[in-house]
Amino acid sequence: MPSLTQSNIGGPPPVHPELPPGGGGGDGDGGRGSGGGSTRAASMTAIIVVMCASFMTFGAFLSAMVIRRGLSNDWHKFALPRILWYNTIVLILSSIAIEAARRMLKRGRRSYFTPLWTIATVLGTLFLIGQFTAWNQLAAQGVFLVGNPSSAFFHVMTWAHAAHVVGALLAVIYVEFLALKYELGTRGRTWVDASSLFWHFLDVLWLGIMALFVFWA
Amino acid sequence: MKLPLTHHRTVARLYFWLSLGSVILGVLLSLVMRFHLVYPSKAVGLFQLLWPRGAQGGVMTPELYLSLLTLHGTVMVFFVLTLAPMNAFGNLMLPRQLGAAHMAFPRLNLISFLITLVSFGLLLASVLTEDGGPLSGWTAYPPLSALGAIAGPGQGLGQTLWFFSIGVFCIGALLSSVNVVATVIEMRSPTMPLMAMPIASWNWFITAILSLLSFPVLLAAGMLILLDRLAGTSFFVPAGLMIADYKSPHMGGSPLLWQHLFWFFGHPEVYIAILPGMGIVTTVISAFSGRAIFGRRAMIFATIAIALLGMLVWGHHMFTSGLNPWSAIAFSILTLAIGVPSAVKTFNWLATLWLARGELRLTTPMLFAVGFVSIFVTGGLSGLFLGQPELDAYFHDTYFVVAHFHIIMGIAALFGIFAATFYWFPFLFGKVLNETLGKIHFYLTFVLAYATFLPMHFAGFAGTPRRYADFTSFDFLTPILPLQKGITHAAFALAAVQLLFIGNLIWTLWRGAAAAENPWQTNADNGEAY
Repeated sequence: MPSLTQSNIGGPPPVHPELPPGGGGGDGDGGRGSGGGSTRAASMTAIIVVMCASFMTFGAFLSAMVIRRGLSNDWHKFALPRILWYNTIVLILSSIAIEAARRMLKRGRRSYFTPLWTIATVLGTLFLIGQFTAWNQLAAQGVFLVGNPSSAFFHVMTWAHAAHVVGALLAVIYVEFLALKYELGTRGRTWVDASSLFWHFLDVLWLGIMALFVFWA
Repeated sequence: MKLPLTHHRTVARLYFWLSLGSVILGVLLSLVMRFHLVYPSKAVGLFQLLWPRGAQGGVMTPELYLSLLTLHGTVMVFFVLTLAPMNAFGNLMLPRQLGAAHMAFPRLNLISFLITLVSFGLLLASVLTEDGGPLSGWTAYPPLSALGAIAGPGQGLGQTLWFFSIGVFCIGALLSSVNVVATVIEMRSPTMPLMAMPIASWNWFITAILSLLSFPVLLAAGMLILLDRLAGTSFFVPAGLMIADYKSPHMGGSPLLWQHLFWFFGHPEVYIAILPGMGIVTTVISAFSGRAIFGRRAMIFATIAIALLGMLVWGHHMFTSGLNPWSAIAFSILTLAIGVPSAVKTFNWLATLWLARGELRLTTPMLFAVGFVSIFVTGGLSGLFLGQPELDAYFHDTYFVVAHFHIIMGIAALFGIFAATFYWFPFLFGKVLNETLGKIHFYLTFVLAYATFLPMHFAGFAGTPRRYADFTSFDFLTPILPLQKGITHAAFALAAVQLLFIGNLIWTLWRGAAAAENPWQTNADNGEAY
């Protein structure tokens, strides 16, 4: 990287060395990243940025919850169904499986990747099924979205989390599809890293939601 | 050469056309409202034709006025001030300035636009419902916005569609911001350190980060209020609310909670609208001063400081909502502190102009850039009044606020958009807009913008309440009516002058000659000139 000297501050954009002299990039004229596809680094940056945006969404729910609880006297804690604990274990196991699969692929042990990734996919699906069961069990107890702000926030946050899991699961299934077709090229490996990173994020997010409702809400 | 749909310049053009269509709609709505404000009982056949239920006999109902107000605010804030400076010109110039061939995710870029287009469609659908458009303004304060059809015409399906429109817009804005951040961080030329990045790119970058931090909060708040409306939850609606003979079944929610969440988005939104304009103005002033911008590094840190402080001052929109006085003091100090980085920017623009005084070239984009500085200072000064709780208590619900935000957020940002349109038109469409017509357009716009919005401060001093559809029933406002008529006449003249720009645009696209290699003859050694 060139140092910031007085002469180059405010100078013309220092363009990629492969560019023809005399101008910036743009317009697909051969600047950095020409060729149409996004780079691996850009994809990883993007997924981190998406995680920040998701974090802000849940942060908004959390701050709304803190204020709503502080303002009212209609807040009632309710018993969490036991299946939520099983779901937590399933999600942690899926995170471990997905990380193991990613590391195996990185070390070139390709034959371990597909089974481990498949286990993660199945566990992710099981988690979603478990969440549906939990909502049904709560309904059977008389705990609905409407009626109690605590249960309302529980439903909103778990629905939003499940929606994120569905999105991540689609990416995981796409990787599974590529792996089964033996088409995990450079692009596929970027999908592996990006989707596994997001999966861990959803895991941590879920632990946060559980902690919130077990200890406070 | 025909460009693919995912090309950053094509996407920039799509955003440009959407913003242009939106601003025309927004201006027409404002003219109808201004007309009604000063001639409330005058029957207009066109009104009856356009709104057979809201303007029976050609006279507008207060509800129709409020629905037009809501549509005007929403269209202008989201589809003009958010899209044009950031998405249209950011897409156009960011890859060029960074030495990249394209945005990090070209397909995602197009998808973001299509999502925004769906949002626009939903917004239009919201006003075409049987009961008319929603009435609760662009801030959609509950409980009015959270109760459904019982709260008034347009508050049923229309308001629901409005919330869906905003939710979809948030998703489009978020995807677009992810693209900008990834492009700046990963697609920048390897020989370009962040501090050497052009100021305009810096401002798009910081704006994208602001979007990423604020739009998710609006999205979350939108989901909660939709559940209040559609499922009967009680996040924002208090217990025991009575509307006519109807008792709301909601329990214990808080309208203040919505205000906190909304303004946590809403205040950064002001900077989402204005920061790209500041970057554009820096570029243009530097280009036509023939020198690098004065205090370049300070400009970058001032942008970061404005964004950072902008995230912490949402409470100043709630001084009159029953905020704890200690919170109000904290929000007030932080709000007034924004004046410091804003003054740094203004000083640096003026210093650049001063140092280049013999070499200044007053082209149309330069005139709009200098006009931006004037408007920005004027709007900023009235902000100092509103940032103090004691003064805001009087001014908050008056036309003083209308004047303030139209000048600082509307006109200043529009001057930035005009500067960018004239300056980068050769990159956008390969032609140069007519300079003579452009300069006449600037001078008339500059004078008439002040003629429209400056007197509103005085209307505010006199206590003219905002959001009212009719002032004629109040004795204390009778002396202000001539002033209001003057404002309306200036507004009509201001809108008419914009036909010069539209004519210039159409004529140039239709008959204009192709732009030369360096149409503005800018100094190739000046990086901001790109």
